[in-house]
Formats: sequence, C-alpha cells, structure tokens
Amino acid sequence: MTATTISPDNTAILSALGPTYGLPWLQQRRSDAMELFERIGLPPVTHEDWRLTNTAQIAKINFSVPGSGTPLTPEQLAGLCLKKLGAQQMVFVDGKFSPELSSPGGKVEILTLRQGMEKHGDRVQRFLGREMPGQSNGFSAMNLAAFEDGAFIYLPPDQGDMGLVHLLWINASHDQPVVVHPRNLVIIGSNNQITLVQTYAGFSSQPTLCNAVTEMVVGKGAKVELIKLQRESDTAFHIANEAIHVHEHADVQSLCVNTGGHLVRNNMTVHLAEPFAQATLNGLTLAAGDQHIDNHTMLDHARENCPSHELYKHLLGGRASAVFRGTILVRPDAQKTDSKQTSKTILLSDAAVMNSQPQLEIYADDVKCTHGSTTGPLDDEQLFYLRSRGVAAADAGALLTYAFARDVLLRIWHTGMREYLEEFVAAELHRLHLDQAES
Amino acid sequence: MALVEIKNLEAAVGGKPILKGIDLTINPGEVHAIMGPNGSGKSTLSSVLAGRETYTVTGGSVLFDGKDLLDLSPEERACEGLFMAFQYPVEIPGVTTSYFLKAAVNAIRKHHGQDELDAMDFLKMVKEKMALLEMDKTFLNRSVNEGFSGGEKKRNEIFQMAVLNPKFAILDETDSGLDIDALKIVANGVNALRSPERAILVVTHYQRLLDYIVPDFVHVLCDGRIVKSGGKELALELEKRGYAWLETAAA
Repeated sequence: MTATTISPDNTAILSALGPTYGLPWLQQRRSDAMELFERIGLPPVTHEDWRLTNTAQIAKINFSVPGSGTPLTPEQLAGLCLKKLGAQQMVFVDGKFSPELSSPGGKVEILTLRQGMEKHGDRVQRFLGREMPGQSNGFSAMNLAAFEDGAFIYLPPDQGDMGLVHLLWINASHDQPVVVHPRNLVIIGSNNQITLVQTYAGFSSQPTLCNAVTEMVVGKGAKVELIKLQRESDTAFHIANEAIHVHEHADVQSLCVNTGGHLVRNNMTVHLAEPFAQATLNGLTLAAGDQHIDNHTMLDHARENCPSHELYKHLLGGRASAVFRGTILVRPDAQKTDSKQTSKTILLSDAAVMNSQPQLEIYADDVKCTHGSTTGPLDDEQLFYLRSRGVAAADAGALLTYAFARDVLLRIWHTGMREYLEEFVAAELHRLHLDQAES
Repeated sequence: MALVEIKNLEAAVGGKPILKGIDLTINPGEVHAIMGPNGSGKSTLSSVLAGRETYTVTGGSVLFDGKDLLDLSPEERACEGLFMAFQYPVEIPGVTTSYFLKAAVNAIRKHHGQDELDAMDFLKMVKEKMALLEMDKTFLNRSVNEGFSGGEKKRNEIFQMAVLNPKFAILDETDSGLDIDALKIVANGVNALRSPERAILVVTHYQRLLDYIVPDFVHVLCDGRIVKSGGKELALELEKRGYAWLETAAA
C-alpha cells in the first residue's frame, strides 16, 4: 500500500485516546490506532468498500463525548429489557456501564472490559484487536484508539448450555451530538452453547454516532447464536465492525436485525479457521423515510469442509436505501466448501433503492458456492389471491411483508428470542406501513 | 330475484377485446357450466367477475345480489359473497393456511358487522370442512399452497369455498391437472356445498367434471360470446361432437 502524504481532513472527530488503565500494551495499541486513524481518516466514497455509503456527513458533525443525558424512563427501558426471557443482562448508557440497570448474575461470568483487564489481563491482551484490528478501516481504528468500555465474556470449556446473555447499549437523549465507541470481547471455550443478544437503541433527537466493535472467538464444538438488534433513533449513525473466529466443528448462527438509524453500516467478518466449522449469517432490514442501511459480510473459508449459509432480507419503503455486499472468500485449502448466499428485497415504494452485490473469490477447485438475489415490489398474484378471499388491500400487503420477514425470524434457534422478535418486527412493520400510507 | 345478472359484458386485455358481449342470468340454487375451446374467454370471464385488474371492462354491467359488481374491489366482492376457485392457486410462503383463513374469515365477518371468530370456534369449523375434503391434519400449519401437488391445491380451493361459505362460487377450470381420484374428492366437496341459496358457475374445457358436478344449465362460449345454451345434455353433445360446429356458427 502506498502511504498518503496528505492527511485526510475528517479526523477531527477523534480528539482523545481512551483510558489506558496504566497498561503499557493498551497505551501502545491505542496510540498506534490513533496514528493510523490520523493517516487514513474516515473511509472515503472512493474506497470500493464504501462506495455506496458516504461517511462525509459524519465528518461534518461536531460530535463530543456524552455528558449525562436525560435519564431513561422505566417505559423506555422496559421495551428493551430481556429479563423476562431469563437473560443475564448488561446495560450501557451513553457508553458507560450502568450497574444499577444491569443484572449480570447467572451461569455466565460477564464482566466489563475494564474488569476483564484486571481479572483476565493476559487473555484480553492476547485477543483485543486480534480479530478486528485497527487496520480494517477508519472506524475500527477510531474504536481501538478511543473505546471507553464494553463487555468481556470468557466462558471456560465444557460448560454446556449457558442460556441467554444480553448486551444492551442505549444512547440517552442529549441536546448536542454525541459519540460512543462500544467494544465487546467474547471468548467462548469449546463445547459450550450460548445465545448472545446485542441491542443498540437510542432516544436522542440530536445526531449520535455509535461506533461499535465486537470481537469473538468460538472454540471447538461450540454452538453460538448471535442476535443483533439495531433500533437506534432516526438521527443516529451506527457503524459496527464485528469479527468472529470459528474453530473446528463449531457452529455459529448470526441474525442482524436493523430497524433504526439514519445511516447504518454493519461489517460482519467470519473466519472459518478450521475444518468442519460452520456459519449461518442472516439479516433483516426494515427501512423507510431516508434511512440508509448497509450490510457487508465477509465469509472467509480458510480450511476444508466448512458449510456457510447467508440469507439477508430487506423491506424498503419511502426513500430508503440499502446495500448488501456479501463476500465469500474460499482459500486454496478450503476444499469441499459448501456456501450459499441469498439476498431478497421487497420495495414498498418507487423511490426505495436496493443495491445487492455478491462477491465470490474462489481459490480452491472442489467447492460449491451459489448466490442469488431478488428485488421487486410485492407480488401482484399473491396480493390478488388474498384480496379475492376478502382481505383488504392494505392488510394483504401487511400480511405478505410480515410473511417475508418472518421467514428469517423462524430460523432463530432460541424460542424466547424468536417470539420476542416476531412481536417486535410485527409492530415495526405496522409502523412501516403507516409511513407508507402517509407518504 | 336473480343472484347474478350479466348484461352485454365486454372486456379487453392490453387493448385486445376478449369478451364481446356476454349475457347470463344465474338464480340462487342453480349450477351453470361454461364450456368452450381454448381462447374462447372462459378464464377472462372468471377473472373479470372476481375483479382481477389485468382486465379492463369495456362495456356492459354485472349485478350481484342487486349491487353493481364491477364497482366493487376484489375484497368487497369476496365480502359480499363471491368466491373464485383459482385455476392456478397461488403459493404464499411464510403464511400458514390457518393464519390465511382466519384473516379471510374475519375480514368477511367484519364487513358484515360481526365480531371476530374466537380461536376455538374457528378451529372447530375449519376441522369440519377439512373432513369434507379429506385433508391431512398437518395442512393448517403449512404455508398456503407451498409445495402442494396440483390435486392438493385444487382441494384447498374447494376447502376455502367451504370455509368462506359464499353465495356465488366460480370454479375456474378446477378439473385441470386432476387425476380421477382427486377429481372425485373435489366434486364431492362441491356437491356437498350445493344449496338452494348458493349458485355455482363451473368453467371447464372438458365434459368430464360435469359427470360428477351435474349442472342445471350449460353454456358454450366461443370467441367471447355465448353461442349456445342448454341443459346438461348439451355437455354430452359437445363431448361427442367437439366445439368446431359451434365455432363455425359463431364466425
């Protein structure tokens, strides 16, 4: 790579390093990341990976680190809480761990990243920044330089079914633009089973930038379900970089649900690092107004006999736009790879835009990789069939969009989460259809 | 009073005239059969009556139970008691048959100012109708028509007719793609639904279905017009002689 001689002009957003807790290695990683960020800045639209998501508007806003915002109401919290599903829950408000709102007790030892550095110092030092290094892009560099806190989960091997863990990140209401850099590190020892849910929510009418990084290692034979629910306010910029390292015979299923945010970018990278590791990446995006939601996935098949499946669905109304770019990399050692990628979109308005791009890079010769993409309005024949049975046109549309979305939700392994999201998505679709009716 | 009164009905698709003046009166309790060669306009007539928007009505009128049918949306027609069994039933992945039927039943009940049916009553009613069509128990939890065989799809249409209890049912080539056993099940279902209040219009290419659903009247459609009407014996004559002699008469 050629070094740029001119510094980008969009680096003012990062003003200070995060705390170093007297750890020289952390000090070093942070200052390296800061230096890198000052050189590369926020990704420009001229960068192939960011061609369809323009971060220039983020650079124009004068974000600051949040002071105390408007206290959250019990109603706001109740809608986000998963305690009724028996979840161990960790809540962060404006990037700071909130012990009074959290209930981390249970089978899994959940710590803050700061506590993790005290208790599992070597592990954190070993894994922090390994799966999602600063070099990946300007946002991951900025996160590494500036993150304040996050969750640290370490599950020793052979614990069995560890239930449901919920990491809830909330941006409270502020009277100025604020930025937070959540960072989570999750290490699942071999032969464990766990469901990990991340919710990102916000209540500010001012712009917020949530720049999250989650790194995860999944040990041999473990079975992990990851669910991310992004339901930030409609003034929010949400950028998430997630990376998962999957060991032999481990099975990872992820679902990324996006309903909120003004501009959203999710980068999901999965390294199928050993034979017989498998990954399923699903996504559901519901967008209206002028929302822009971009999902980039990268399935890195490093070794042989790893199956992977992807299903990303989008329901777009208003002037919403969405991007799905799914890269499947099959390295020379990844013989017998079986990979299937599907992207499906329903456009509920003429002005909505979908951009779907499969990207297959195959360097092995005995593999099966398929991809497919469909985009279009609701099916006229299906609509007429429902109407001919008495169902009003608007209700028929709602029923078909719900069925379209539900198809993804039915794949969720965790029963409680499946029901929770079916209800949530039904309510969001109702809102989407009301928006359509008004516009 | 006639239940359905079609007068000089004309319809076109993409500017091309298909129906060129249909007159047909159907009374409650009657079963009428519309027969005709391919391209005569049989399915167009069904679609126009059900309200499919790909067809443009260019002339004439249809009174249904005293109301101007052509003025109603497809869902209003259904709520008023019109039902069409589709020639090609549509698959709706992700919507279970049970959810679909509940939505339909309750939409129609709402139209008539009735409360929604409670879950127990709904299930009881639906199970009775399933027995009538010899349907498998798993059927309610399967997505509408998804992965159904041709016979299952057609049985599902008649099952829906039984559940929705229409005043006027149009069977659009319900016999197409059915083997003899499936045909018998479907015909038995339809016959069980014959009643003095209900009229049925059977649209078919072949006489075979009419051995099992015996009509009161038979009409022959050629080139967008009814060229001959008669009793059930007309169907047998068509079986013997084909349509050619009538097509010549129409031309």
